[in-house]
Amino acid sequence: MQLHGWEAVIFYVLAIGTLFMGVYVVTARLAVHSALCLIATLVNVALLFILLRSEFVAGVQILVYVGGVMVLFLFVIMLVQTRAEEEDKVKLYTRQMWPAVTVAFLLAISFFFAMQPAQMAYRPSQSQTEAEKKGDDPGVRSESGAGLKVSTDTESVGEALYRQAALPFEIASLLLLVAIVGAVLLARGSKQEKLYE
Amino acid sequence: MLKLVWLIPVLPLVGFLINFLLGKKLKLSEKAVSTVACGTILLSLLLTIGAFYEYATSYAPAHENKPYVTSNDPDTGERQGFPHSFTWLPGGQAHNSQGKDAGALSNFDIEWSYQIDQLSLVMMFIVTFVGFWIHVFATGYMHGDKGFYRFFAYLNLFMFMMLLLVMGSNFLIMFIGWEGVGLCSYLLIGYYFDRQEAGDASKKAFIVNRVGDFGFALAIMGVFAAFGTLQFTELAQLSEAYPQEAMWQFGLMSWLALGLFIGATGKSAQIPLYIWLPDAMAGPTPVSALIHAATMVTAGVFMVTRTNFIFQRSVTMMMIVALVGCLTAFVAATIGITQTDIKKVLAYSTVSQLGYMFLGCGVGAFVAGIFHVFTHAFFKALLFLGSGSVIHGLHHEQEMPRMGGLAKYMPTTYKTMMIGWLAICGIIPFAGFWSKDEILWKTFSTEVFGGGKVLWAIGFITAGMTAFYMTRLMWMTFKGEERFRKVHHDSHDDHHGPVEPHESPPSMTLPLIVLAIGSAVVGLIGMSPAITGGVNINWFEHWLDPVIAKVGEAGAHAEHHIEPIEYVLILLSLAVAIGGIYLGRLFYEKRTELADIWAAKLRPLYTLSFNKWYWDWLLDVKGVEAGKAANDALWKVDAVVVDGGVNGSAWLTRIGAAVSGWWDKWVIDLAVNATGWIARAGSVIFRAIQTGAWQNYALLFTFGLFIIVFLYERTVIYSTIKNLWGMIRGSGN
Amino acid sequence: MSSLLAFLLLQQDQPFIKRFEPTLVHFLMLSFLLFVVGVAGVLSRRNIIIIFMSIELILNAVNLNLVAFSRYFQINQEVLRAKGLVIDSLMGPVFTIFIIVVAAAEAAVGLGIVIAMFRNRETVAIDEIDMLKW
Repeated sequence: MQLHGWEAVIFYVLAIGTLFMGVYVVTARLAVHSALCLIATLVNVALLFILLRSEFVAGVQILVYVGGVMVLFLFVIMLVQTRAEEEDKVKLYTRQMWPAVTVAFLLAISFFFAMQPAQMAYRPSQSQTEAEKKGDDPGVRSESGAGLKVSTDTESVGEALYRQAALPFEIASLLLLVAIVGAVLLARGSKQEKLYE
Repeated sequence: MLKLVWLIPVLPLVGFLINFLLGKKLKLSEKAVSTVACGTILLSLLLTIGAFYEYATSYAPAHENKPYVTSNDPDTGERQGFPHSFTWLPGGQAHNSQGKDAGALSNFDIEWSYQIDQLSLVMMFIVTFVGFWIHVFATGYMHGDKGFYRFFAYLNLFMFMMLLLVMGSNFLIMFIGWEGVGLCSYLLIGYYFDRQEAGDASKKAFIVNRVGDFGFALAIMGVFAAFGTLQFTELAQLSEAYPQEAMWQFGLMSWLALGLFIGATGKSAQIPLYIWLPDAMAGPTPVSALIHAATMVTAGVFMVTRTNFIFQRSVTMMMIVALVGCLTAFVAATIGITQTDIKKVLAYSTVSQLGYMFLGCGVGAFVAGIFHVFTHAFFKALLFLGSGSVIHGLHHEQEMPRMGGLAKYMPTTYKTMMIGWLAICGIIPFAGFWSKDEILWKTFSTEVFGGGKVLWAIGFITAGMTAFYMTRLMWMTFKGEERFRKVHHDSHDDHHGPVEPHESPPSMTLPLIVLAIGSAVVGLIGMSPAITGGVNINWFEHWLDPVIAKVGEAGAHAEHHIEPIEYVLILLSLAVAIGGIYLGRLFYEKRTELADIWAAKLRPLYTLSFNKWYWDWLLDVKGVEAGKAANDALWKVDAVVVDGGVNGSAWLTRIGAAVSGWWDKWVIDLAVNATGWIARAGSVIFRAIQTGAWQNYALLFTFGLFIIVFLYERTVIYSTIKNLWGMIRGSGN
Repeated sequence: MSSLLAFLLLQQDQPFIKRFEPTLVHFLMLSFLLFVVGVAGVLSRRNIIIIFMSIELILNAVNLNLVAFSRYFQINQEVLRAKGLVIDSLMGPVFTIFIIVVAAAEAAVGLGIVIAMFRNRETVAIDEIDMLKW
């Protein structure tokens, strides 16, 4: 797997964007800012998914994350945001910030070292790069007529979801139900509790 | 009736539950409460008599005098089902850790079952018979009391526990009863919980008993560990494999016996744990009669007799038992001489008589000990109830110097108590004579260990003192000047006016009469062959003989040989009893000034006796002081050594923390911050780690992840660093 | 420093420009960096909502990883089959979808907890909640 030309450029743009936005998520003073940056990060990641020919996952990412979860986040931020935070009166970090950053840094370094053997193992072989050059992509199918190339990703993921992962898929629906009930139960106030009891 | 023995303890329990749970709620009348309480006990008594009859006439002859254990059907040998018995604690299998069979696998399933044999039948009879009449007495004595239902509920609970104690077929059931009677004793001593001394006395009784129970519990565990069973019948067989341990030889059996005996000294108020019993007189008088004279305090004697197969295998412990019993008898008698509270005198008398019982057990005459339990239950219950009647008649006056001349006001009480008095003094043919004489003779002629004659001499003197102080009690109470008229003008209950003593109602005098008859005649079932001219009609000894294990030489010839010296001893003990009575009458009837004269002459002895040999003071004051001193010493050790160590290590770690903090701050800021938790953990190690902030935990978590990755990739990292170093060196060149 | 970068990142037998063409390893590195950024946020921020967002970052890093590998296996199907490895490349996206589902559920419940906590304690600062001791 190797990206060429514009794809490589787009990758670097997206990667740098993702990282910067991610760092800003973590360092933003206001939760709203970090939520917005998180949206940007998620969109970037979704674009990376497209780059990886996983359009379906990218769509789910946008729909569920950006459309659902992040709206939830924004509502909660709206509910719990305090004036003190806006006026820069609160500490942003815990006392263990520097240890945490150090450990994270060490972790990153060690991951890089861990990548080194992988770099050799996963390097694209000559035949593969040649096949890619010819446009022989297993994730792409030629549509009859007009010489169009159509991604088979959604099709195959849907198939996999309903064939191999049918039971987990149903269980996931149950999980979502439980989460809804749990969230309602947790978030309702004492007034509402009295109302219902 | 043997099939119904399981009902005997259950009935009082039912009575307890009815009175305790419903007594207040339904506002049961005194009549209802007393009907329930006495009725259940009466049923138990009838069942006991029935069981007695069936066991004696049909079961024992057919089964070689073997005990009837409800967990083993006598005919099939299999266990009987509920409610006769059931597996109460299914402990499964385990290995014995001690004794001959250490390592052997045994079954620790504890059965809930009852053992009916000669010994438990005697005790059951005592408990239910005396208990029933005391219940009847209490209906009169407690008349009008606020807590009437509570009192009878506790009494019934006590009966249940006491019956469990004597009927249990294994140590654990006995232990339940043992602790249960202790609990009821506590509850009933503290029955008048609004009185300070009653509360104190109940706590004292409970705590002192704890000391004894500690030994008992240890002994039970020891038995468990050594034999792998707690069933008395099995233990009696298993212990046959152990030889008798000679004098000064302190093996397994001696240790077990020691633990059991510590338990017995607690429950039966022997030296050094007797101090609770006199204080226990703060409870209502029927309680004193039932628990602290007739039944519960004899549980120790019963237990020693029940486990005689252990005691008899340790000559040392036999001697200790005899010695402790003898000394207790003597000391308590000397204290009893000078006490003025009528119930206190009787309490010390009880302690003294219990000492006799242990003396009997110690010299190997377990039968005589139980026989004394039997007769003592009658006459001491009688004396206590009589004193209760007196106290009732005088509106709760207990001090003998404020009594006197009551004989004509309370004729029934007086007459019945006279019988009790004759019985305890040991006048032929009343009950006390037979049992006490038997014990003294067995002591004199004991073959278990040497020195029986010394013990006999002490017991002999004690018998004289017993006669003296009991005579003193009777005369100070019933004869002479009517001192109660003088004192009550200035005393607390002025609103009564001068107290006019009155005879008690029939519900109280009837038990007195019944017990008086008992005190007069029950001794006849254990008549010594010496009196009957060689004809052995000692039914009691014959009856209990199967219970007593035959161990060693002393056990081998347990036959009662009549020797001429026995007649001498009988005459001597009669003489000393009569002498004691004579002296008592001389002091307290004819020349009342003599008492004070002699008290003055023997001032040191008198003070010693009056202050109870300072034993209370020693245990209560000095003992507590010593305990405090020991605590102080321990505290000092704690403060100097332990705290020093702790502070020292804290100091060291603080230094360490300072050093590492300096390192932190000035040397490698970033890296050491990452390991800042080490410094904190070093200062107050465990507390610092547990901050409660989950982010700290997560940090550690991540650090651990880093460590894992690092270890996994260490060769790559080393080689990379090496290459880098080489590059830097190379570029430098 | 440049030699270090070359040593770490690039394959020296490729033409220079080719060395910068993103491969699986680049995706994995991006994923790791995102992960590490998320971890740093989780460990150091006080605002519990931002901690939640950092967790989302971590989850996304994992998703990226999974999808990248999936793509790698998909492209190299033939090569791997020749080596005797048959890997279902579609499990990556499927797993990713489940992770997104779980993340949504977690966010719902977690934010419910945040609201309950804020109502009771008037704070969203994580280090003021240190009851996880004794």
